[in-house]
Amino acid sequence: MHKTFIQSPLAGAPLTDSSIAGLPGVHYDPRPMMPDVKVLKMGGQSVMDRGRKALFPILEELIVAKDKYKLLLCTGGGTRARHVYSIASDLELPTGVLAALGGYVPRQNARMLQMLLGQHGGIFMMHDDFEKLPLYFRLGCIPILSGMPPFGYWEKPTETGRIPQHRTDAGVFLSAEVLGSKRAIFIKDEAGLFEDDPKKNPSAKHIPRISASELLKADLPDMIVERVVVEYLNRARFCTELQIINGLERGMVTRALYGDDVGTIIHQG
Amino acid sequence: MSNLVSGDGRTHIDSPLMRESLVDRRVIASTHSAREFAILPDVFLVGIGGQSIFDRGREALFPLVEELRALRQNHRMVIGVGGGTRVRHTISIALDLGLPTGGIAQLVGAMEEANAVFLNALMAKHGSIVMQREHFWELPLYLNTGMLPIVISIPPYHFWEPPPEDGPLPAHGSDFGLFIHAEVLGMRRIIFVKDEDGLYTRDPKRHKDAKLIPKITLDELLADMPEELILDRLLFSTWRSARHVERVQIVNGLKPGQLTRALAGEDVGTVITRERA
Repeated sequence: MHKTFIQSPLAGAPLTDSSIAGLPGVHYDPRPMMPDVKVLKMGGQSVMDRGRKALFPILEELIVAKDKYKLLLCTGGGTRARHVYSIASDLELPTGVLAALGGYVPRQNARMLQMLLGQHGGIFMMHDDFEKLPLYFRLGCIPILSGMPPFGYWEKPTETGRIPQHRTDAGVFLSAEVLGSKRAIFIKDEAGLFEDDPKKNPSAKHIPRISASELLKADLPDMIVERVVVEYLNRARFCTELQIINGLERGMVTRALYGDDVGTIIHQG
Repeated sequence: MSNLVSGDGRTHIDSPLMRESLVDRRVIASTHSAREFAILPDVFLVGIGGQSIFDRGREALFPLVEELRALRQNHRMVIGVGGGTRVRHTISIALDLGLPTGGIAQLVGAMEEANAVFLNALMAKHGSIVMQREHFWELPLYLNTGMLPIVISIPPYHFWEPPPEDGPLPAHGSDFGLFIHAEVLGMRRIIFVKDEDGLYTRDPKRHKDAKLIPKITLDELLADMPEELILDRLLFSTWRSARHVERVQIVNGLKPGQLTRALAGEDVGTVITRERA
């Protein structure tokens, strides 16, 4: 029986593995798409749920910075997302449904930021508008995107629990990775990692720099970012650093955008 | 029943996850339960291969369409389509251009959409409809009005495809996508229609001594995975953490009647089952 082929090095090969090792004629030299974009995440519980007191000073810094840098502003969920996950878990709904539901809150937060930043070029964008980023930047806009990746109903179940493993931290990191941006910046209410919970122990020692492997090896029950992001960091081709900063401290966002190593840097390795 | 809680500078909604870190393993585990609600448990998912069926044109497709037309009288099912040789060509070019993994993932779905349109054109008079992803929750509407929904298989990871463990190819492919589609809806059975009699110990197109595996459990398969697989590797590792899918069957769509027999519950082709603990 006749089968139509388009000739290419992959034509006959099984694609059931992501490896291309052993495929003759395949050479891969990836290029970054938009390496100068600064991808930022505005924390949900840590910033948005604190309201104007926390948010407005951060927005002021972003408004000043936007003429110097291309900013892609992504949003986290926060307490409403926790409430959604809590109810959905109680109903014993599948992880994919939780992931789809988990998208609504960061989208609300993105819309809130758009309303606040509209007069300074804030544009709310959907994932399908990702290819319009060059236009937004050319026009001097601040595109605002929900941090939740678009996996939705297609999110994988996990062995334990039903909270989706890819949430807004993952979406922010993956946005930076596909754009070819070196560092993803997470604006939170703590300056990154500490040896103990700083909310409970004010004298806890700050960790300014740590590798993904060291962090995974420490095997902490709690982590500052989603576990998958730390795992992915070591496979990333472009986004090799996560920076976690305390947005409640004046000037931190500006310094992070400038490239200062404030907060905690989790790096590939 | 819902209370707003403040006092630490943030406004919370009272819930078991309030103030909790969702990256804390103990918190994640607290959301676990052995049971899970099944949304559409009586629906079958039938995946039709791109390269194996669609790329063969009318000779392979027309008899299959005839079979599907008859089957939909007695079964509630969703049809998934793969992309085939055009996907491989897309990836070849994209790799040569050095596009990032997420960029490759963004591109490939279009080739499957073309196959969904082909199949829909052939089956429209029998009540088929292409389900757009945004219309996910219209599936019950389609099924309850006796229509035959066609979905594209590739999951919408798009630009956000996670960096693969090895190599540049997106790991979340079509077989995985269909699996997860069935799993999230609580379906129990998936049948993949290909151009081979099932899963072999090696690729039967390249090795004469390849042996068909008629029946195997997921655990047995994971313990001794063939080097060359007919389905995405990720499908099997994901299945381990899944709650609903009990049986994945691979049948030969070039042999009329195999799909019918599989839907009737017969052990044709390869049957992979998951033993419940």
